[in-house]
This record gives sequence, structure tokens and C-alpha cells, in this order.
Amino acid sequence: MIKAEQLCRKFGDTFAVEALSFHVRKGEVMGLLGPNGAGKSTTMKMLTCFLPPSSGEASIAGVSLKDSLEVRRKVGYLPENAPSYSDLDVRSHLKFVGTMHGLQGATLSDRMDEMSRACGLDQVMHRRIDELSKGYRQRVGLAASMLHDPDCLIFDEPTTGLDPNQIVEIRHLIRRLGEKKTVLLSSHVLPEVEAVCDRMMIIDQGRLQVIGTSAELARQAEGESLLHVRFKDAGDALLRLLMQEFPDLEVKAGDAPFSYTLLHPEADIPLAEHLFHAAVASGTVILEMQSQQTSLEDTFRKLTGGDHE
Amino acid sequence: MNRVMAISWKEWRVALDTPLGYVVAVAFLLAAGFFFGNHLFLVGQAEMRGYFSVMPLLLLFFIPAMTMRMLSDEQRSGTFELLATMPIRTIDIVLGKFVAVMLQISVLLLLTLFYPATLALIGNIDAGQLIAGYLALWLLAGCYVAISLYASALTGHAVVAYVIGLGMLFALFIVTQTMSTFSPGSQDMITALSPISHYQLMLRGVIGLNDVGTFVSVTSIFLALTWFQLERRRWR
Repeated sequence: MIKAEQLCRKFGDTFAVEALSFHVRKGEVMGLLGPNGAGKSTTMKMLTCFLPPSSGEASIAGVSLKDSLEVRRKVGYLPENAPSYSDLDVRSHLKFVGTMHGLQGATLSDRMDEMSRACGLDQVMHRRIDELSKGYRQRVGLAASMLHDPDCLIFDEPTTGLDPNQIVEIRHLIRRLGEKKTVLLSSHVLPEVEAVCDRMMIIDQGRLQVIGTSAELARQAEGESLLHVRFKDAGDALLRLLMQEFPDLEVKAGDAPFSYTLLHPEADIPLAEHLFHAAVASGTVILEMQSQQTSLEDTFRKLTGGDHE
Repeated sequence: MNRVMAISWKEWRVALDTPLGYVVAVAFLLAAGFFFGNHLFLVGQAEMRGYFSVMPLLLLFFIPAMTMRMLSDEQRSGTFELLATMPIRTIDIVLGKFVAVMLQISVLLLLTLFYPATLALIGNIDAGQLIAGYLALWLLAGCYVAISLYASALTGHAVVAYVIGLGMLFALFIVTQTMSTFSPGSQDMITALSPISHYQLMLRGVIGLNDVGTFVSVTSIFLALTWFQLERRRWR
């Protein structure tokens, strides 16, 4: 449904998005993840024909971005911060957006009723938008993006600024939409993406790092063993011994005294076991030992360079 | 066309829903009335010449105020992204805004017809001159609107857009007014290019094709520049 091939966008001499290729299947909810400034919004702006790509090609429902008017008819777009005409009331705003998408008369009012119900706007239809809370404005943006019943929806951070109840509501709405439509949404809230999306991709500095289901992504980072350990007193000698046994082992000192994090690039090694035996042999007392599961968050941090900060 | 009208409709809603629209309209009508009455009572002649000659200066202050928010606000609040991702060409956005202001100006100019109407009660007015005068005024307003819209496309701040628009129009006005101090060659060029000097020519009651042509050209050029400016932001 959404297909990008080697999509690039330059601002001056720097690449905001570089050689990005991916494919979102019909009826799929795809999450676009990345730290701030990774190129998420730029990617979405290119797919919605707001910014032309510097090079590369993309198509939506088989229509090339070059046929920009046709692409815009097929896409419902919610830009970041859900901009809307704050001087208008909600009804006028929706009417304007609908008319711009070529809706008229009974079709327009039917769609407006349907979308205001779906997004919970019934109570505020006659309120001016600048009097509404951030959450309602976000919903106005969502309703406006879906008025013309597009096959493909692109949401740039749809849940920012919402309270936890509203976030759950919007997630349900997106899940419901995802049954019939193709959705691409960006976020830096990882649990949200895990809860809503079928698949996700992580981009950093404009490049695609990884794409897949959350389980697939977690497995990417899983190829390592992570062990937190705290000794009663100095365990340096013991750790040195362990490092001789496992030459690839990386040891980082923790915050608490005599605590360490052990990292090994292989997943299936009996690190804890060896540590235990070595400690017993040398008479070192272990107060705490915990091996850690890798999560989407670890994958994200690993792939986007968050570890180095 | 439908979408151009939708943009104009939206601008009307905004103008009717916000105080700025009314403030500008009332101030314009009062100022126009003042200059009309001033000429009538001071000079004591039932004629419109003084009124028409002051109008380019008056519009120069009011039109940038009517257009200043139209594109700058869109860019600042991010709604331009909304507009630009709808199935509509950028030139339609520009035309929609232009039509909206021209409709507002037309309503204001129609309301000022009250003044010549009162004049007709006390004396004879030259209908031909009146029609030519209003047509010239309307065409001149078109140039002003296009120039001010361009100013609004240049910046994300409404006040800055007002100052730029006012500055450009004022420069045009000053150059036309002080034309006699320039060399003969420059004078010819200003007469040919300046919409204000064509306006003054039309006030004589003759509607020349080259006058109308100049108004239409200047308007088109600035609308094209506005379009270019909006497109340029996306390519940069």
C-alpha cells in the first residue's frame, strides 16, 4: 500500500532522510519509531506530498508521489501537533476540510456526523477550536484527516499531549481503523507502538535501522547476555578471571558500590553459572545477581545510539 | 473552482468571526467618509475628484491589514501543511485568498457608494466619471491585494507582513507622486508601470485598454510571486 524506494531528503547539505526503503502492506498498522530529529516527520511529509523528495521514489496505493494530487486524495494526514483553524468552530473546520477534499451536500454532512461520533466530538461541534483542550484539538485533527474516507492514513505522533484516558481511546480508534485501512503512525512512545502496531520500523539519523514485528525487533537485540551483579566487597580479581574465560566480555561499573553490568555479545553462554562458581571458589560474596531480558526499549536504545549518552 | 471558493468561504468565516475584520471595515468607512466630507465642505463643490485622489493612500494602509494574516498565519500555525496536503494546487490556495480579499474590498467599496449617492441629492455628478473611478479603484485594489498577499507569504508573522506590505505599497505611492523629480526617461517608465499613475489616468473618465492591462499584469505578477514563494518553502 505504501512503498518507498531509496527515499532521500536533504536540507542544505545534510540528509534528513537517507536511502529509506520500506513497504507497508494493505490493512497493516505500521509504527515509525526514532529519536527526535531522526527523520520521522520528514518521511511523512514526503509521503503526503508536502515536501518533495530530493531523490528516490515512493508510491501510495500504486500511485507515484509524482502524481501528487492523486496521492493526496488517497491519503489522510494528521500533521504533528494537529494544526487546525483556531478561529473557526469545529463544524466549520470539518466542513472546510471536507469541501477541499471534494465532498458536498449530504455526503459531506454524513461523513462529518460519522467522524465526529467516531472521534467523540459531538459535544464540541459548535465550539471554537482555540477554546478546546489539546486532546480535543488532536481529535479534531484525526476526524479531519479521515473525512474523505482515505484508504491510507498517516499520523504524525497522534497521541502527544493527550491524557492517559484519551491515549487509550485514540489507540482503540487506530486499532479499529487498522482493521480496514492501512495506517502509518510515528511515535517515540514505545509501549504505544507495541500496543497498536502490527509491525514497526526504527529509523535513526534518517536511515532505516530495522523493520519487523515487535518480537522480531526484540530478537535483533537479544543476541547478547546481560547480567547485573553486586558483590559484598571488591570483585575485581574475580571479574578479571571471568574475562580471561570469556574474552568478549564487557564489564561496566554500576552506580552502587561493587556493582557491575556484564555484557556478552552471545546469548547462549552460561555466564551466571560461571560467575557463581568462580565466586564460590574465591570466597567472594554475591549480594545480587540478575540476568535481564531484552525489550523493545533496549532494541531502540541500541539501534539509535541511546547507549552512548 | 469549488475549492478556490471553499478557501474564500473560510476566510469570510474568519473575517466575520474575529474582531479584526469589523475593526478594519469600520475604520475604512469612517476614514473614507472623512475624506469625502472634508472635500465637500472645505472646497464646497459637489464632486468626487478629491475623494478619488486620496483613495490610493487610504487603501495603502487598509489592504495590508486585511491580508496580513492570510498566509503568514497559515505558515506559523502549521495549517499550511494541512492545506498543502489536500488535493489542491498551490495556485488555487493563492487564488482563494485573493478572491476572498477582493470580495471583502468589493463590499467595502459598495458601501462607500453611499457618499456619491448623497452627493447626487444635492448636485449633478458625472456618472461616467464615477463608474470609471470606481472601476479604477477596484482594479487598483487588486494590485494592492496581490502585493500585500506576497508580503504575507514572505513571513510567518502577521505584523511583519503588514509592515512589508505597507512598505512596498508606500514605495510605489511615493515614487509615483514624486515622479516629476526624475529624469524624463524614468518618468515614462513609471507612468507606464505604476498602477497608481494608470489609476490617475483613468480618473479622467477614460477607460484605456493599456490601463486595465497594467492593473491585470501587476496583479498577476504578484500572485505568481506569491505562488513561487509558497512553493519555494517546500523545495528549500
